[in-house]
Amino acid sequence: MSDIEIIEQLKQGNEQAFRKLVESYRKLVVNTCYGLLHNREDAEDVAQDVFIEVYRSVDSFRADAKLSTWLYRIAVNRSLNHIRDNKKHRWFSLFESDVKTENKKLLQVESSLTDQPEFELENKQRAIILHQAIGSLPEKQKVAFSLSKYEDLSYQEIAEVMELSVSSVESLLFRAKKNLQKKLYTCYKKKCM
Amino acid sequence: MKCKDVNSKLIFFLDEELPATEMQAVKEHLAGCTDCALFAEDMKKTLSILETEKTPELNPFFYTRVKAKMESQEVEQVLNHRPVLVRVLQPLAFSIILLIGIYAGIKLGATGTTSKTKTVLAEQDMIPYWNELDAEPIESFLME
Ligand SMILES: [Zn+2]
Repeated sequence: MSDIEIIEQLKQGNEQAFRKLVESYRKLVVNTCYGLLHNREDAEDVAQDVFIEVYRSVDSFRADAKLSTWLYRIAVNRSLNHIRDNKKHRWFSLFESDVKTENKKLLQVESSLTDQPEFELENKQRAIILHQAIGSLPEKQKVAFSLSKYEDLSYQEIAEVMELSVSSVESLLFRAKKNLQKKLYTCYKKKCM
Repeated sequence: MKCKDVNSKLIFFLDEELPATEMQAVKEHLAGCTDCALFAEDMKKTLSILETEKTPELNPFFYTRVKAKMESQEVEQVLNHRPVLVRVLQPLAFSIILLIGIYAGIKLGATGTTSKTKTVLAEQDMIPYWNELDAEPIESFLME
């Protein structure tokens, strides 16, 4: 079944087409949500809502558009809304103290798992630093960066999803990487783990 | 190239996005500078987490969950139908009744002055019927 066939049959309310759509694009949607949320359960939960939205609004889908672009866009919007809804009400984000808090939580859990190889704990700590660093980026930089890194999208594809010019995407990615580098450097120097 | 310049370009170096000459210059610097090399190694490890997260284990119940969620949302919508009636339409109905009442009151007040005699007469016609009911016990009370 091609994308066009899936959409056509979905517009007629064909359940098999919906199942096909979910099976084919589940990885793309879950991964995109994860790239912004960095939590498996939240990512799956939001991804489910993405597919429900697609099912309900399939009539508004234009035949000349790309199905994946549409899915990316809904997944990004829903993930950003999820972040906004769950954001602690704070005036500013404290990258370093957030890393420390998350690390403390991790160590509390991990202390019970004594037979775990050390590199696994190290990787979990690195993941915390990375997620907090990505999470503290401005929204558009975060979207561009995660689409580029988690989904390997080209500048052109990111531009289509975000409805921006290719040069804007280039500049967003440049600034995102500069900011990440700065945060990782701070963490490295201050040994924030 | 100085350490500061190298540090500001490392992430692009790791992504192999620098022009060939700069790639070479950073590479040479890292070979001779332990400080920068250690940070480069650290950042490389941290960024490599991205690669490991790219291939998530797929939940085999994903489709079933989507369907279940969709159905529960539909049930919820049906249940929400009543509260919408109660929450919106009821106050609306009350407001309309209140407005009609106020309008009627104003109308009556306005007509009251012109047809006062008529109303008084009508009132007098009404009173006996009203009084007959409870006037009698009073009369008999006085008679006693
Ligand atoms: Zn150096």
